[in-house]
Amino acid sequence: MSTPAAAPAQAPSTGTRAMELHFEVHVLYANEARYLDGDRFGDWLDLFTEDLVYWAPTRTNRLRRQQRLSVSAPGGAAFFDETKDSLAWRVRRFESGMAWAEDPPSRTRHLITNLLVRPAEEDEAVEQGVSEETAREHAHYVAETGFLVYRNRLEHEVDLYSGGRTDLLRREADGSLRVARRTILLEQNVLLAKNISTFF
Amino acid sequence: MVKPPADTVMCVTCGAQTHRAARTGNTSEETVTITEPPAGRSWRAHSPPSADAGAYLDIERGVIDRRIWKDEGLYQQELRRVFAPSWLFLAHESQLPKPGDFFTTYMGEDPVVVVRGKDRTVRAFLNTCRHRGMRLCRADAGTTRNFTCSYHGWGYDLSGNLVNVPNAEAYPDHFDTADWGLREVARVQNHRGLVFGTWNPEAPDLIEALGDMAWYMDAFLDRDPEGTEVVDGVTKWVLEGNWKLAAEQFASDWYHVNMAHASALMVMSPTGKGPKTEIANTPGRQFTSPLGHGAGFPVHPRSRFDDAAVHEHYDYDQLRERLGSARVEGPMTTGHATVFPNFSYLPVNGTIRVWHPKGPDRMEVWTWVLVDKNMPEEVKQAQRRYNLRTFGPSGIFEQDDGENWSEIQAVSRGFVSNRTPLNYQMGLGIHDDHDPDYPGRVGELYSDNAARGFYARWRDLMNTPAWHENHTTPEGDRD
Ligand code: FES
Ligand SMILES: [Fe+2]
Repeated sequence: MSTPAAAPAQAPSTGTRAMELHFEVHVLYANEARYLDGDRFGDWLDLFTEDLVYWAPTRTNRLRRQQRLSVSAPGGAAFFDETKDSLAWRVRRFESGMAWAEDPPSRTRHLITNLLVRPAEEDEAVEQGVSEETAREHAHYVAETGFLVYRNRLEHEVDLYSGGRTDLLRREADGSLRVARRTILLEQNVLLAKNISTFF
Repeated sequence: MVKPPADTVMCVTCGAQTHRAARTGNTSEETVTITEPPAGRSWRAHSPPSADAGAYLDIERGVIDRRIWKDEGLYQQELRRVFAPSWLFLAHESQLPKPGDFFTTYMGEDPVVVVRGKDRTVRAFLNTCRHRGMRLCRADAGTTRNFTCSYHGWGYDLSGNLVNVPNAEAYPDHFDTADWGLREVARVQNHRGLVFGTWNPEAPDLIEALGDMAWYMDAFLDRDPEGTEVVDGVTKWVLEGNWKLAAEQFASDWYHVNMAHASALMVMSPTGKGPKTEIANTPGRQFTSPLGHGAGFPVHPRSRFDDAAVHEHYDYDQLRERLGSARVEGPMTTGHATVFPNFSYLPVNGTIRVWHPKGPDRMEVWTWVLVDKNMPEEVKQAQRRYNLRTFGPSGIFEQDDGENWSEIQAVSRGFVSNRTPLNYQMGLGIHDDHDPDYPGRVGELYSDNAARGFYARWRDLMNTPAWHENHTTPEGDRD
């Protein structure tokens, strides 16, 4: 497996069930953006399953014939390669009151768009490392989105992070949807920002 | 005020022996000596007048003028007198396992392509076509048989020879492809897997240029007889900040750790409340090299932040035998270091990095994760994850470093700011500079010694004409 964590979503575009699913996921992501932009990292963390894999590989300039190498493979360089525990670690840092890179805090806006979502096959979830038992017992969905994150910091600092996300969503026992896998592909080679002090 | 340069500035582009040239910058007019290019030799770089870098710092008193992070003229002087003559980090040899493997990077602001030739030798070339100056190779890395310019199609082999010229019959008889090969980096040498290059044909061997620093580097590079390799991929980011801010900090500054990285220390401490006082005030040693290098490391056995899986991987008795206890208790797992001018590393998480200069107020950081070849895959992966969670642009430590440097830079625009000296006096006058367990000049961890050493070396290079400015040496710059 090299690039995005799942095959492209090809959602049936009509039908009540497809529309309901689309609406549900849309609201999920709108809430997620609200948490991230509203300094509610604890609430944000609750949107992820315990077996989370959260991954943002780096991207390199390669000749077309070597394009398959243009996204860093699993195990290679990455901006994020996280479990739920390690994300919690990062969130605890923000909450320490001494995370100077975000104190005073930046102003951010997460725009999440171009949503496509479809039900995932059981073995698709297994291929992404979900246990067979979990894959059998829970419905999973593949959701793709594009994002544009604007960060405005201190006086003049402006950063734009553009990228795509491919999520594997899980229907939990309580009926809610949570993110079990997230692959983030930033549209940058050299990251054009002094740091990443937010999440995508 | 800046004194006129002690050395003579030479220009070979106008043909006259001497003339009066208007200087750009702060002085009005000045005699500039012009010499003819020797017959058969090509052009030399035109070197503008040089400033006395000593006017911006007083190392003995420990004060520095922040204009050295901001001034465009000083920056240009750095490119020709600090970067052009020095050994600069290019790549790790494990990035180029096979003939034809290449990697593109920079030496100062000059783009270079590093490539393993058919004869397995690693060479480096200025990454620009000799015809009209198009960037020759625009991929970050890859494998190739030759480099073909995408403008008019000149083709170069892996040794830099010009081997293909479309419409060659249209060139005159005296056009000889042998004259138009790629400009080759004069010397390329490898220290335990780290490949360095210099444009300076007169540079001492790399090992001499490292001096005692090699002993400290080897604590990190020579933990295992099989040597090291880098994890696939380079993480790159830009930040507004002069390259010296970062290089100086990695040479000398353990001091900032407790404050700048308080949040990270808190998260990582077993209690979740931050390190105990005895660890925060940890004893340690700092090494200052007359060649500008510097390294510092705590020696308190509990002042260690290495990843558990990596820590457990090592057999410390064996390491003590291999490296000696002094290295194992200090620079092997912890601390910080800069190899002058712009290569730094942190053993604790395996980061090796270059601070590429991108103008006086901008740097680009390129980082790799270095691991022992012999580590089991899961240990390498543990080190990689630990690295990106602590350092790198999203790392819980490094996020805060970026903020410090960009804000220092942002403040460096003010007139009064630029005339308000900054303090580099920690450890000044404390003559504790020898330790039987460590080579070179070694003192207390909490000290600006290595920063003063870094800037002293910078000043000396800034005030010394580089080989390419010296017309009298036979090894002077020529193509
Ligand atoms: S610029 Fe390279 S062939 Fe013309
Ligand atoms: Fe730091």
